[in-house]
Amino acid sequence: MSVEDIKAYIESGVLELYVLGDVSAEERAGVEAMALKYAEVRAELNEIEKSMQLYADTQGIQPAGELRNRVLNSLVTNLGDDRNFRSHTSAQENDNVVPMYKRNASAAIFYKYAFAASLFLLCISLVALVLLYKQLDNTHERLVALQTQNQQFSRQVTVKDDELAIFRDPSFQLIRLKGTPKSPASALTVAWSAKSNKVVIDMANVKLPKTDEAHQYQLWAIADGKPVDLGVFDAVADSAANLKPMKSIAEAQAFAVTVEPRGGSANPTMSEMTVIATL
Amino acid sequence: MANKQKLSLTEEDLVTALQRHEKVAADALYDMYSSSLYGVIFRIVNDTPTAEDVLQETFIKIWHSSNSYSTQKGRLFTWMINIARNLAIDKIRSKNFKNQNKNQDIENNVSAIDKQNNTEFKPELLGVKDLVETLRPEQKSILDLVYFKGYTHTEAAEKLEIPLGTIKTRLRMAIQQLRKHFN
Repeated sequence: MSVEDIKAYIESGVLELYVLGDVSAEERAGVEAMALKYAEVRAELNEIEKSMQLYADTQGIQPAGELRNRVLNSLVTNLGDDRNFRSHTSAQENDNVVPMYKRNASAAIFYKYAFAASLFLLCISLVALVLLYKQLDNTHERLVALQTQNQQFSRQVTVKDDELAIFRDPSFQLIRLKGTPKSPASALTVAWSAKSNKVVIDMANVKLPKTDEAHQYQLWAIADGKPVDLGVFDAVADSAANLKPMKSIAEAQAFAVTVEPRGGSANPTMSEMTVIATL
Repeated sequence: MANKQKLSLTEEDLVTALQRHEKVAADALYDMYSSSLYGVIFRIVNDTPTAEDVLQETFIKIWHSSNSYSTQKGRLFTWMINIARNLAIDKIRSKNFKNQNKNQDIENNVSAIDKQNNTEFKPELLGVKDLVETLRPEQKSILDLVYFKGYTHTEAAEKLEIPLGTIKTRLRMAIQQLRKHFN
């Protein structure tokens, strides 16, 4: 910039406006740059500033005396304020501070998503709980069914054991009762132990005509020529027990079955004899 | 206060102490500049309690932003008076102040006149009377509008109904007169 240019710049009036505080930010920066670059501008600016300061001094108004303490106290109080130490805080120290969350907004977004995720997980948990409960219910039902089955099996095993025990017991003799002329196709097997006096009917092998509801079969033993009641039974096969225990008898020469009114009779109705076996 | 020696430092020492936040800087700052700054603030807000608040805010701001000032930018006072002027203008533009001021206009004007009559006389400076003779009334009114009331030269041109170029010329002439006067 030539001497004339600098002179023109000084005379443009921008320096005065600068001192009066009537410039934009760019104009301000421009004046400060010019003042740094050219001593003449600096000197001119300084003269204007000095004059204006002196002028402001003459136009000054003395504030109330008690204001001095109030203002100074507010500065002194602020001496302990953190802000006073900003200039002494190095940039490094500030760099060491890592914010936990960069901004409040991001924290809010984080909590929003966390809340949504929680709700989602809760729904999944509830569905899973219902499904698991149904499965548990199913399992319980199957377990009960299996237990029932198991009980049936064990009962069957016991029954079979009893049957086997009878067949293994040498004191038992199998007595095959054969059909009378009245019912030649009928047959019945009775096991009797003269030693233990027990009498059982092999229900799995009953071949007797069905009786009506009012009648039942009755087993008799003939001991010393007299019929002895050994109990009544139905001709229907009983799944629970293949061997039906009857009343005991110590001695018998023959076994016979008659059809009697339901509940049995004291004496056999000889005309209704279905099967008989003599020892 | 009257029996206390007013504190005064060279501008260089003051700036150094201020930027170190030494207590002596606070005292010197107030003693050296409070009346000049208060003069500007009072002319803008025109109300004693408000002017006192703004003066306090001004010193607090000077104190806390002292590190943004550099001697390369010019004189300390130029920087400070800008702060005072801006805070005072912010204050009168705030809603609170506008509402409150409606009811107190007359009272304030009276106190304003009282205060202005109380203008401090400093023997080390040339007399106010001489100064008034130095500046022509039209120069002084423009200078005061811009420097003390915070008008831009465009606003001053509108208010005084004078062309913008004339405003600029008068401002420069006024300051030239002051320079001659103080030298």
